[in-house]
Amino acid sequence: MSMIEISRLTKDYGGGRGVFDLSFTVEKGEVFGFLGPNGAGKTTTIRHLMGFLTPQSGCCRIDGLDCAGHASEIQRNLGYIPGEIAFFDEMTGDGFIRFLADYRGLQDLSRAQALKERFELDAHGRLKKMSKGMKQKIGIVCAFMHDPAVLILDEPTSGLDPLMQNRFVELIQEEKARGKTILMSSHMFEEVERTCDRVAILKEGRLAAVDSVAALKKTRRRSYTVVFPTTEQAAAFAAEWDGVLTVGGRRVTAAVQDGLLPFLQALERYGAEDLDADRQSLEDVFMQYYGGGRP
Amino acid sequence: MISRPLFKQGFLSNGKILLIFAAVLTLYFSLIVSMFDPKIGGTLQSFSDAMPEVMAMFGMNAATATLTGFLANYLYGFLMLIFPLIFTIMASTRLIARHVDRGSMACLLAAPRCRRAVALTQALVLIVSQTALILYCTLLGIGCSASMFPGELDVGAFLSLNAGVWALHMAIAGFCFFASCISDDTRRSFALGAGVPIAFYLIQMLANMGGKLENLQYFTLFTLFDTAGLMDGTAAAWWKAAFLLGIGVLFFIAGIRLFERRDLPL
Repeated sequence: MSMIEISRLTKDYGGGRGVFDLSFTVEKGEVFGFLGPNGAGKTTTIRHLMGFLTPQSGCCRIDGLDCAGHASEIQRNLGYIPGEIAFFDEMTGDGFIRFLADYRGLQDLSRAQALKERFELDAHGRLKKMSKGMKQKIGIVCAFMHDPAVLILDEPTSGLDPLMQNRFVELIQEEKARGKTILMSSHMFEEVERTCDRVAILKEGRLAAVDSVAALKKTRRRSYTVVFPTTEQAAAFAAEWDGVLTVGGRRVTAAVQDGLLPFLQALERYGAEDLDADRQSLEDVFMQYYGGGRP
Repeated sequence: MISRPLFKQGFLSNGKILLIFAAVLTLYFSLIVSMFDPKIGGTLQSFSDAMPEVMAMFGMNAATATLTGFLANYLYGFLMLIFPLIFTIMASTRLIARHVDRGSMACLLAAPRCRRAVALTQALVLIVSQTALILYCTLLGIGCSASMFPGELDVGAFLSLNAGVWALHMAIAGFCFFASCISDDTRRSFALGAGVPIAFYLIQMLANMGGKLENLQYFTLFTLFDTAGLMDGTAAAWWKAAFLLGIGVLFFIAGIRLFERRDLPL
C-alpha cells in the first residue's frame, strides 16, 4: 500500500522555478531518498506534503488523506524536520521540547528523553545561543518524540558531526525495522546508501529518475587522481591506462572499472607520488547516469 | 479550537512588553491626574493658552473644568491612543508574521492543530492582552483619581470613555492582526500594520486643528472614538463604538480566513 502518494503535482513559481507534473509513491515501511541539486524543487514538494502549500494542479496524499485539506489529521501521525530549522528563540531547548509535546497533546516524554541521550543533547540553554548542530538535534527530538508512522525529513543531518550522522543513520535503520515510512532528502551518499530502499532525483522541478539504491550502487564509478613525478611519466601512464578522464601536467584523473589491483600495479610501474580518491556526490552519480551525463 | 499551551506561550512572550507599557502608562496616569487643578485649569491649561494649535493637534482642546473631561483630554486624546496602538503593532506582528518569517510557524503547523486553531489562539492572545492593558488603565485612572481627588471623577462617564477606547483598539488590533496574517515577513506586516493606523492618527491630528482641515475627520477611524459623546452617553457615540468593534471583528475573521488558505513560505 502506498503511504505517500504524489500525483501530477504542479506548482509554477515562474522562471522555471517550482515543481512540474511530479508523480511518485512511497510504500508503507519504505525509506525513500529524495535528491537533487539546490533549487530542484525538493523543499517545494515537501511543503506540499506538509500542507503549507496548495498545489496548482495535481495532488498529494499521505495515508489516503489529501495533504492540502487534511493537514491536521495527517500531522497526528507524522514527524517533520524542516530544511531550515527555526524555533521560538526566547525559550530554552528543554522548554521548547516540553512546549511542543504539550501543544501536540503528548504526555509521555520518555521517548524525547531517550532521543536526547542518544544524541548527547544537553538542551537546557537558550535556543538563541545554540549552534546549528544543537538545533538540528532538537529538531530530530521533536520529529521523533511522538513516535509517528510517517517521517518527512528535509536534510536531517545538516550541521551534525560524523559521529552524530552515524547515530542518525542507526536511528533511521531502527525506525525502518519498526515499519515506519520515511521520506528524506539528503546530500550524503553514505547516508542514503545505508538507509534508503529507493531514491528519486529531481532536476529543475521534474522527476529525473526513480531507482533502487542497489542499482545506483552498481553504477557508481570510481575515479582517482594521481600525481606523477614528471609530466612524461604522467603522459606515459595516460597512454597505457584505459579509462583516463583528464590529464593536466603531472596530474591524471582515471576511472577504475573493475578491480583495484591492475590500477595499483600500473601506478607502481610509473612511480606515482600521490593518490587521491575522488568524492562523487550522489547528485553527480545520478546525473551521470540519468541526467544525460556531464562534460 | 483554542490551544491552551500556545495561548500560554503567546501571552507570556508578549507579557514583558505588556508590563513595560503598563508601567509607562502608570507613570503618565499618576502624573497627569496630579496635574489636575479644579480651580484654574493648571499648567496644561497654560500650554493650551500659549499654543492652542499644537495642543489641539493632540486632541487637548476641550473645556477641562471637570476631572473626567481633563483626563479625556490629556490622556485619551493622545497617550491612550498611541501606547496601546504601539503595543498592538508589536504584538500582532510577533504573533503570526514573525513565526512565518522565521520559519517557527512550521513547528506549530507540523502538529495536529489546524491553521484556524493557531490563528484563532494568536488572535485571542492579542485581544486578551490589549483588553487587560485597557482594563488596567481604567482601574488606574479610577484609583489615581480617588486617591488624589476623592469624589471628583464621574466614574460612569470614565467607564464609558474606556469602553470606547477599547472598541477603537479592537478595530486597530483587528487590522494589525489581519496585516500580520497576510504577510510573509515582519517588514511587510510592520509596514501595513503600523503604517495605516499611524496614517489615520496623523489625519486625526490635522483634523483636530480645525478650519478646512476639519473635513479630514471623515478619512480616519479615530473619529469614531467620540470622547465627548461617550461621556455624555449619547446613542450616536455608542453606535460609533459598536461600529469600531464590528470593524475589528471583521478584520480578525478575514485575517484568520486568509491565513487558513494561503501558501506559507515555510
